[in-house]
Amino acid sequence: MDAVAEQKYDLGVVRWFTVMAAVYLLVGALVGVYIASELAWPVLNFDLPYITFGRLRPLHTNAVIFAFGGCILMATAFYSVQRTCGVRLWSNKLAWFTFIGWNLIILSAVITLPLGITQSKEYAELEWPIDIAIAVVWLSYTINFIMTIANRKSSHIYVSNWFFLGMMIMITYLHVVNSLAIPVGMFKSYSIFSGVQDAMIQWWWGHNAVGFYLTAGFLGIMYYFVPKQAGRPVYSYRLSVIHFWALMFGYVWLGAHHLQYTALPDWTGSLGAAISLAMIIPSWGGAVNGMMTLSGAWDKLRTDYVLRFLIMSLAFYAMSTFEGPVMSIKTVNALSHYTDWTVGHVHSGALGWVAMVGIGAIYHLMVNVFHVQMWSTKLINAHFWTATIGTVIYIVAMWVSGIMQGLMWRAYDEYGTLAYTFAESVESMHPYYAMRAIGGMVFLTGAAIMVFNVIMTVLQANARGTVQQARSATVAASA
Amino acid sequence: MNSLKDYFSTDLQAMTTNDWVGTILTVVIFLLMLGLYVYVLRPKKREHFEKQKHIPMDDEQINDGDKNGG
Repeated sequence: MDAVAEQKYDLGVVRWFTVMAAVYLLVGALVGVYIASELAWPVLNFDLPYITFGRLRPLHTNAVIFAFGGCILMATAFYSVQRTCGVRLWSNKLAWFTFIGWNLIILSAVITLPLGITQSKEYAELEWPIDIAIAVVWLSYTINFIMTIANRKSSHIYVSNWFFLGMMIMITYLHVVNSLAIPVGMFKSYSIFSGVQDAMIQWWWGHNAVGFYLTAGFLGIMYYFVPKQAGRPVYSYRLSVIHFWALMFGYVWLGAHHLQYTALPDWTGSLGAAISLAMIIPSWGGAVNGMMTLSGAWDKLRTDYVLRFLIMSLAFYAMSTFEGPVMSIKTVNALSHYTDWTVGHVHSGALGWVAMVGIGAIYHLMVNVFHVQMWSTKLINAHFWTATIGTVIYIVAMWVSGIMQGLMWRAYDEYGTLAYTFAESVESMHPYYAMRAIGGMVFLTGAAIMVFNVIMTVLQANARGTVQQARSATVAASA
Repeated sequence: MNSLKDYFSTDLQAMTTNDWVGTILTVVIFLLMLGLYVYVLRPKKREHFEKQKHIPMDDEQINDGDKNGG
């Protein structure tokens, strides 16, 4: 079977994307833990501008979203589209161009962001030359994926490919429109939008980066890798179709819920909140669909540690897709907005959903593209528990901190004077910031365990020559 | 907000064109989603959709032509 897959598909680029995804998760989490520690213990700034929170925070978000997230999305899309379409990639060379280009973009982010070169647009900080490079490399990824589907040997396009394709198309135009800017130098540009339009475009991009990149793309991973790892077809294909179209219909409307109580017209915020609430239905449908894939075979969770990651990710997906719509309601938003509750919500999605489903895919891919078992299954189990416990510590700290912040900011006395100064609210946050840093460290420990396990697995595969054997083995004619 | 009635009260006269556009689009999107749910969940469509869920399980056979391959 390994030889069939190795000779039938282009797996080399998948191997590299998979290993780099594991490395970038470690790097991104490391920067995250450092900046979380800076908030708890500001002395860690060391008075160096390059490592202040303001410069490292975008490096953290770029590393986890675009470096880890991008590499695992590209690894899984290139792998699953070949398997579900029964053909090689349309162009292996173009896939390598995507790999090299994407990693050079990540390198450019590592250089420019600590130097303070930024557009100051959240999740789109990189300056205009890098934005153009992102568009080119992203299109190379998209075109290769579309052309591979066009060459397919199956009559139906499996639903995971729909999710990947939805992500690719939406991110292309979201990125291009949000990045429209007037350059005034090689490393400086100004957005063509201004005022409230700029804010609306920013959050139209910002929330859809979550909705299409971190949700639709990772649902593509879920719909292929959960059934494969479980060895059972997805619970309901019809539900997956509804899930897909409802996501595509709904997500583009949500951005305005980030701008409640601002200069944005009131109706747009209400619209964003209304659609956000409607999105609970497809999101929960998808989560239940993934989890019920194990219906009748729940015992697999006792022994299959990779499956644990995938199913736990769906539990966090369900939780954060309920929490998000609740936070978009104006009355709740009045308390939650600008507080750490938002940070907790983001990380229940990022650590609990995105990272865990990505980690599950990394372990699945390692076995199937290096044609060898993982070096240590005990370490996978240790990783599962550190990732889960670290995530829970993190989000509980931020929930408590955020709600306390909101309540302190809005408290006033009988004369209408604010009961607390802002500095007092900051002081009260300290124990929770320390708790958040500890939660992050626990999660980071798990990421380090995974990278060690991945490296040992690659070394083991190299020592045994499993990839070379699969390439040179004689394959039966039917394959 | 003294009661549920107050909470849901709307001053229709004060609604601008933008308010109406937003409201109508919201309702239309809800109806489209409802239509989608009905279309996909119709019992007679069950077999049509559900047979596709085995694709990842059968991916080794795709090139053998048993998926009416092209």
